[in-house]
Amino acid sequence: MSRISKTAAAVGLSALFAGGALAQETVKVGVVQGLSGPPAIVDFGESYLQGLRLAHKDYEASDAKTKIELIVYDDEANPQRAVSVVQRLIQNDEVAAVIGTVSSGNVLAFAPILQRAEIPLIAGPSIATNITAQFIDEDPSYIFRCSMVEKFQIDAMLDWAAETFDKVGLVHSTTGYGNVAAEEIQKGMAARDKELVAVEAAAPGVNDLTPQMIRMRDAGAELVLNFHESFELIYRPMARLDYRPTIAGNWGLSSMKVQEIVGADAIEGTVMGQALDLGEEKAQEFDARMREEYGSAYRWPVLAALGYDAGQIMFKAVNEVGTADPKAIRDALENIDGIDAVSATPAQPFSETDHECLNPEHVFLGVWKDGAVVRLQ
Amino acid sequence: MTNFLQLLVSGVAMGAIYTLTAKGLFIAHLATHRLNFGQGDFMMVAAFLVMALLIAGVHALLAVILVVLALCVMGYLLERIAIRPLDALAERSTPYAWVLTTAGIALILQNLVELVWGGSAQYAPPLFSQSRDSVVIVMGVGIFVEEIAIIVVAFLVVGALYWFLFASRWGKAVYAVAFNPEAANLLGVDVRGVIVLVFVIASVLAGVAGVLIGPLVSLHPHIGLVFTIKALAVASLGGFSNPVGILIGGLLFGVAEAFSNYWDSAFGDLYPLLFVLASLAIKPSGLFGERHADVR
Amino acid sequence: MYRNLGYLLAIAIAAAFPFLVPNNFFVHLAQIFAYTTIAVIGLNLLLGLSGQMSLGHGGFYALGAYGSALLAGSLGWPLLFSIPAGVGVALVAGILVGLLCLRTRGLYLAMATLAFGFIVEIAAQRWTSLTGGTMGLFGVPQLDFGNFRMGPVYFFWFAAAMLLLVQIGSDYLFASRYGRRLQAIKESEPFARTIGLNVPIWRTAIFALSAALAGLAGALFAHQSGFISSEAFSIRLTIGLLIATVIGGLGRSYGPIFGAAILIGIAETTAALHEIGLLLYGGILLTVILVFPEGAIGLAGKLIPRKTAKAPPRRDAEEARSALVLPQAKGAALDIVGVSKSYSGVVALSDLNMSIRPGTVHALIGPNGAGKSTFINVVAGLYQGDKGTISIDGKDVTGTSAHARARLGLARTFQNLQLIQGVSVLDNVMLGVRPERGAPGDFLAWLAGGGHERGERRRAEAILEFLNISHLRDLRPKDLSYGHRKLVELARAIAQQPSIMLLDEPVAGLNAQEAASIARVVSDLRDRGTTILLVEHNMDFVMGLSDRITVLDFGHRIAEGTPEEIQKNPDVIRAYLGTDEAAA
Repeated sequence: MSRISKTAAAVGLSALFAGGALAQETVKVGVVQGLSGPPAIVDFGESYLQGLRLAHKDYEASDAKTKIELIVYDDEANPQRAVSVVQRLIQNDEVAAVIGTVSSGNVLAFAPILQRAEIPLIAGPSIATNITAQFIDEDPSYIFRCSMVEKFQIDAMLDWAAETFDKVGLVHSTTGYGNVAAEEIQKGMAARDKELVAVEAAAPGVNDLTPQMIRMRDAGAELVLNFHESFELIYRPMARLDYRPTIAGNWGLSSMKVQEIVGADAIEGTVMGQALDLGEEKAQEFDARMREEYGSAYRWPVLAALGYDAGQIMFKAVNEVGTADPKAIRDALENIDGIDAVSATPAQPFSETDHECLNPEHVFLGVWKDGAVVRLQ
Repeated sequence: MTNFLQLLVSGVAMGAIYTLTAKGLFIAHLATHRLNFGQGDFMMVAAFLVMALLIAGVHALLAVILVVLALCVMGYLLERIAIRPLDALAERSTPYAWVLTTAGIALILQNLVELVWGGSAQYAPPLFSQSRDSVVIVMGVGIFVEEIAIIVVAFLVVGALYWFLFASRWGKAVYAVAFNPEAANLLGVDVRGVIVLVFVIASVLAGVAGVLIGPLVSLHPHIGLVFTIKALAVASLGGFSNPVGILIGGLLFGVAEAFSNYWDSAFGDLYPLLFVLASLAIKPSGLFGERHADVR
Repeated sequence: MYRNLGYLLAIAIAAAFPFLVPNNFFVHLAQIFAYTTIAVIGLNLLLGLSGQMSLGHGGFYALGAYGSALLAGSLGWPLLFSIPAGVGVALVAGILVGLLCLRTRGLYLAMATLAFGFIVEIAAQRWTSLTGGTMGLFGVPQLDFGNFRMGPVYFFWFAAAMLLLVQIGSDYLFASRYGRRLQAIKESEPFARTIGLNVPIWRTAIFALSAALAGLAGALFAHQSGFISSEAFSIRLTIGLLIATVIGGLGRSYGPIFGAAILIGIAETTAALHEIGLLLYGGILLTVILVFPEGAIGLAGKLIPRKTAKAPPRRDAEEARSALVLPQAKGAALDIVGVSKSYSGVVALSDLNMSIRPGTVHALIGPNGAGKSTFINVVAGLYQGDKGTISIDGKDVTGTSAHARARLGLARTFQNLQLIQGVSVLDNVMLGVRPERGAPGDFLAWLAGGGHERGERRRAEAILEFLNISHLRDLRPKDLSYGHRKLVELARAIAQQPSIMLLDEPVAGLNAQEAASIARVVSDLRDRGTTILLVEHNMDFVMGLSDRITVLDFGHRIAEGTPEEIQKNPDVIRAYLGTDEAAA
């Protein structure tokens, strides 16, 4: 054991101090992702990174002239660590741009640092509504995003829910993510002159949602909105309570891991915000490539697709600039065009006033149907 | 009323798991005044092992036997790697070194499980029933077959543990070592053997808990810490050296959790903690107490 | 003096550091190092010095962070006020938690503090209108003295200055009577009470101090990058601090510096190696604890040869005795009236009366189980009697606690010797010596070097010489023979300059020669005026020394009188030898 750890420590230390001096034509792009800790974080972080790495592989295989190196750090879903690794990327590794991370809180912690250091960030797969909006008035803003946007998926969902169901309940987590979602949902329902029949919360480490689901059943909720990071938990008590409402929620519900845990029957008909339609040929091709590349470690098509697209966009911008010039890369990002995105991201994703890959019109509702997530008709 | 019973059942089932893991803390602490801070992680490893064996098509009974044996070995190794060397170091080591050596083992286990099964949540197939959703309805209360199994097995195991402690020769040896290791040694008790034994038993108890809990929750490599903490809470409620207190404390904690989540789900995890803190402030060595040594 | 040179060197290094490193990332790491070390020092004082386990320090860290961040951010307080206020919040919380957990020990304390840590985390996570929860609190002013470019350097200097002050404080605690006393509380609370320490206050104070240091670290953290979120204050923070404390070297004043450096080193190493991060972490943890059990500082200490203290030359016994000018003691009278004590129905003492005149040796004898130990514990105040009164020189002390009785001039020795293993023989004796200076004076003397505690040390040395054991002064109690340990215990009691001394089996287990020398010491003490209550089985010792003797059997007084009277008393003979028939 100690031999392994010593060798590994030596490797780590050399990695720590080997920064600085590499060939000039290589542009470094920093990646911060949540790669350890709670499964929800790891699933998001790893899936996004898988897509990103595939994009990098494709980039290297192409005839692009600028060499790009990815420097990947784990932020442990901890904002203090996230700030620290971003400082390291900026100061020690001297990256020209950054992509990351899962936790919106972490992005909000380090985005101001990047903005001040004038280094462009493509945020993702963080989802909080206000990430790019906070900086868009800066002249110029260095903060972009390629990810789902909470408000867009909630709006799409509530439009559908208000039309289709009488009684809607909500189960959310007590983390910042769950609380913010709950707030937006309640506001959205009020705007549609509706009210949730029951709102229940659950802590992140909880194992059993029976008490919460009893409340949902007693309130007669036909649709339960699920905004808890442990997406599978809500299905567990259904059998014992003999209560089977429709479930809809965060795009996390489209993970194949969730399907694996709760079973294909139970998840059939579950609805979520989505930006990848596996009914489309392009998406199916990508899906097949990812399966081939990562085997059973591949588990989340839409996350991988957005990671792939974030990579495509970033690498294209870097290649256009050709040098490690963060300001030029920022400008290139803002004006980039001709992206052949896998996800619903348009060919020209950004503009001076829009730093989001996905706009409301690109977000749609997906539904589990025969083992795959397709567009809800 | 139905809701009340429903919550009671899920509380008791989780409480039985807490009791099992806390019993492991209890027996190790009794004999050595140390315990495994990775108790929950041992439980996690057992759950992953049984899951892998079942998915590989091994018969359930055989799978359980294999996992219990594996946990015996793990308990032995824990004692050898994380506990025994500390005795050899004696006073050069720090009083709480065992917290960190056992926690260090737990971190390594988490990482190994991650490397083998990945960091995602997993599904463990049921042991006692055909489908994970097999439910028995009693008076309108839906009970998973697996939950019934948990409660029954947990009580059988706790019963066996009591028999071992209070009726067997080895149990007397454990109490002799607990009372005074030097004296026990003079009386011919194999002190080292007893210490190995209690860590093996603690590990097996975590193993049984892991085997039982797999199908009830979704598993992931970091699920252990929460269970270690809850086992600590249960042992503090019941008294680390009080075998009956821990049984009651475990059930109490499980039920309190279920009702707390029903009553105010936004702070469902807060009330049990407040309960523990308040109980410790009033009864500093558990609700059911411990005796203190005489000062001479 | 070397110590102060070290501080100056540390100042020089911190001042030059930002200009020596290749880039500002290292300044960032140095900032983290500075405030993390402060928190680790707090935990080291708590765990290493006073032996109390806390698994809730993340909570105090969070309170310091939110306290200062909210006051500065929302109310616009200047950082100069908000940071101390944040520390104050943590301090108050530390006092409250310390009081709440006062009676808990060991794992129960660990669990109680763990619960506290979780409660703070839950509050930080859910009280979003105040704390911003996991999404974080924005607009926290950064501590950059208004200079954006040089801000990080200034922050580092500020944090490093704080660290230096805290380190100096820690060094003082470790080197002074406070460290010694905390060590005593850690090893034996009953002992600490009998040397006059108010244990609950000490425990609460060190807990609060430790919490305040965690709060200071948190407050600095909050103003480092201007953003805090509840995710930073999870149980992982507490565990990290704990790990740093132990792998640095628990209970050593410079351990935290090493521990925090290693912790940060591990974190930076594993940031790029996330797949085996925990493996590395766990492996390093095990390796350090099993291979370098004294922590990194223990290893560092091994590499630097330690100068060995030379034992002072052994002086002639007669000369030694004359070297000590034991002051005349004003012996006090001890009156016990109608004291009873029973444990769950079993009577240990029944309606006992005893009156001990000043400046005499009064022995208490009786068969095993007669209630002698209970009696001493009741007199010393460690146990509360069920009934009756105890008074010293006519002053009723029945309701007075053990430490207050000790301050009234009551000293005792223990049958199961209560020597503090963590400190030297000399320090054990110094635990009994009344300090000559108040805290500020003592601190300044320490800072000036040299003369710190000179007077106290001289007194303790003189007592050791008086007992002819000054050659043992630098040893640890465990390295002594049983007889020598008894003498050290006696030396500590003498150092307290008691008016009443309770001796619990002072010669049990000693050979005749050793017993004779103790007898000389006891009679000397009496001659100088000390009142002595003696519990002993050795009849030669008792008969030769005592002015009066009380005999106990099954908690009852069966006889009292001069040694001659007792030797002839038929009840006593019966109690010791069994029934008349058996005796005949």
